[in-house]
Amino acid sequence: MKRLFFFTAIAVMLSSLTASGAPVNVSEFKLAPRIAARVASGEPLNIYVSYHDVSNEFSPFVRAGVERANKADGVNAHFIGPVGSNADAQISEIETLMGKMDGLAISSVSSDALAPLIDRVVAAGIPVITFNTDNPDSKRLVFAGQDLVQSGREAGELMAKVLDGKGRVIITTIDAAAQWSLDREKGAREALAKYPGIKVVRTLNTGSDPQEIYSAIENAMLADPNIDGILSMECCSTPAAGEWVERNGRTGKVKVVGFDLLDMTVELVSKGVIQATIDQAPERQGYEAVNLLVKFLNGETIDNVDTGVGVYTPENISEVIKK
Amino acid sequence: MKSNANTGSASKTLAEPQSADRAKRFRIPLIARLLGAKETGIFLALIIMGLFLAVSTENFLSSTNLLNVGRQISLLGIMAIGMAFVMISGEIDLSVGSTYALGGLGTGMLILMGWWLVPALLMGLVFGAVIGLINGVLSTYGRVPSLIATLGTLSVIRGTALIMTGGQPVTINARNGADPNLLAAFEYLGQGYLFGVIPMQLVFFVAVAALGWLLLSRTAFGFRVFAVGGSAKAARVSGIHVPTVKIWAFVIMGVLSSLAGILSLAFMPSGQAGRTGLGLELDVIAAVVVGGASLTGGVGTILGVVLGVLIIGVLRNGLVLLGISPFTQEVMVGLVIIVAVAIDKWSTKSRSA
Repeated sequence: MKRLFFFTAIAVMLSSLTASGAPVNVSEFKLAPRIAARVASGEPLNIYVSYHDVSNEFSPFVRAGVERANKADGVNAHFIGPVGSNADAQISEIETLMGKMDGLAISSVSSDALAPLIDRVVAAGIPVITFNTDNPDSKRLVFAGQDLVQSGREAGELMAKVLDGKGRVIITTIDAAAQWSLDREKGAREALAKYPGIKVVRTLNTGSDPQEIYSAIENAMLADPNIDGILSMECCSTPAAGEWVERNGRTGKVKVVGFDLLDMTVELVSKGVIQATIDQAPERQGYEAVNLLVKFLNGETIDNVDTGVGVYTPENISEVIKK
Repeated sequence: MKSNANTGSASKTLAEPQSADRAKRFRIPLIARLLGAKETGIFLALIIMGLFLAVSTENFLSSTNLLNVGRQISLLGIMAIGMAFVMISGEIDLSVGSTYALGGLGTGMLILMGWWLVPALLMGLVFGAVIGLINGVLSTYGRVPSLIATLGTLSVIRGTALIMTGGQPVTINARNGADPNLLAAFEYLGQGYLFGVIPMQLVFFVAVAALGWLLLSRTAFGFRVFAVGGSAKAARVSGIHVPTVKIWAFVIMGVLSSLAGILSLAFMPSGQAGRTGLGLELDVIAAVVVGGASLTGGVGTILGVVLGVLIIGVLRNGLVLLGISPFTQEVMVGLVIIVAVAIDKWSTKSRSA
């Protein structure tokens, strides 16, 4: 049973990443002369890390990772990006700062909107890597982050496991049309489709305000009272699903699997209301974003980095609480 | 109806000011009055939606679902009552979603800092009042059109909430330092049930709607709100201090947005400044406009706004009960807003013509 593997009590780190890039070295890259001169002079490098929404709940963790790398590598790392997922704002900020950049790490608001910009930055001789959210169709060098389809698959597998392979499931997401959500949903549906006893009843688009999320779940559960599992695709409908289950006395009867480690999620996992949650290690993503660029500019060959997933269940959630 | 205009005008000076047309309708039989009432169109639309959902879904009419809908619309409703005052006075407030976030999360932070419940709640409402005051002063004495002024404060307030919280979620639980007794009382406001049946949020909404109705249609202040929205010039000539009235409307709006934000946090004890209440202003304005209020001011009723809120709430609930795909739902919500307002405008036109 390969699925037993998911029940390891500790965070499971995966090394499989569907690689679209190959290892790259700076000798194969047309580096802008001003950057080459800066590397040679030993002055601190100006590394820019553009995150797709600096106002979301992961942003403080990504920023912490960037700052850790900033200290460790002795560079000038700048954490930038739009407030709210705004592609235009992300593009114009990068355009404005391009002349100062010795390297750019970017998590795109929208892959399609940002790919031409990434290609332009690369054409100007500035190395670009992607982190958190990949942009595989651009000329970026490598990607550091979680494979979204794969993390969706893992969530689906976990759901199948807690349901013993049979039951009716709804998938919840705060933004059904977003690329990250579509990717995770694709993975989750793929994994669940392998179990003939499991039926995915619908995808529920909840909106992002906490009240809205709860209300949407409440309506959906009333519309179909025979739901056995709620599979959340992100941070924020995970605790809302758990709260609904707990408030309606359905703990254990309706299983919840979701993502991330918000305070409420951690609490609900430790109470056994949420059966499993997947962490995406945002701090490590921020760290790798800077670190890969520094390595690359200093002549090391770099490759994609999978920042992995951590699976937390009632058995091992205490590790998070201790931190 | 026109034939009554003359007889009506005699009693105009006696009746309370705003109700010139109520006096007009005084002699019309009840049925005709109901059919002619501004809210009839929206009410019929709501009934039709309700009948359709009762037939096509199993659960729409269940008491659980109806109480759920009641709770789900409450926060939107509380803010829509405030928006009614602002819009009838001829202004608009786009900053309400941000105020909702700042008021709620600000109160939450005070609780986590060890404030007692009542001072923390009052302070939360004060945040809202101050924001309303700023919006009001900017739009009147500051001469910045409220559309622009509140578009600016929308961003300023959300930014302030992000700075205050450092972008981290605010979670009110014992582990983060909230006192357990205080926590229970706070959560009762958002999650509790009056008499074990009626969700507390709904109780707040009904109370706010009742107070709003009293204030708008039974007091001199209410009359002035209509007057400045109908024609600021005429209001000024008749001795009404226009800026004061408008500033008060914004203050009411700010306080109610903050109240809704606080109740939201009491319901789901975790919020994040980048997400809470994002885009809520559009839902609030949609509900008020569906309820028959005019974007140009001077027109609107609390009953209409309540019906508008119900239409939006029943629609969202119904679309999920019907199992309609999430993307199609977006289309449906937009269409219903347009159709509801169009029907209202056409029927008003044919009535006044």
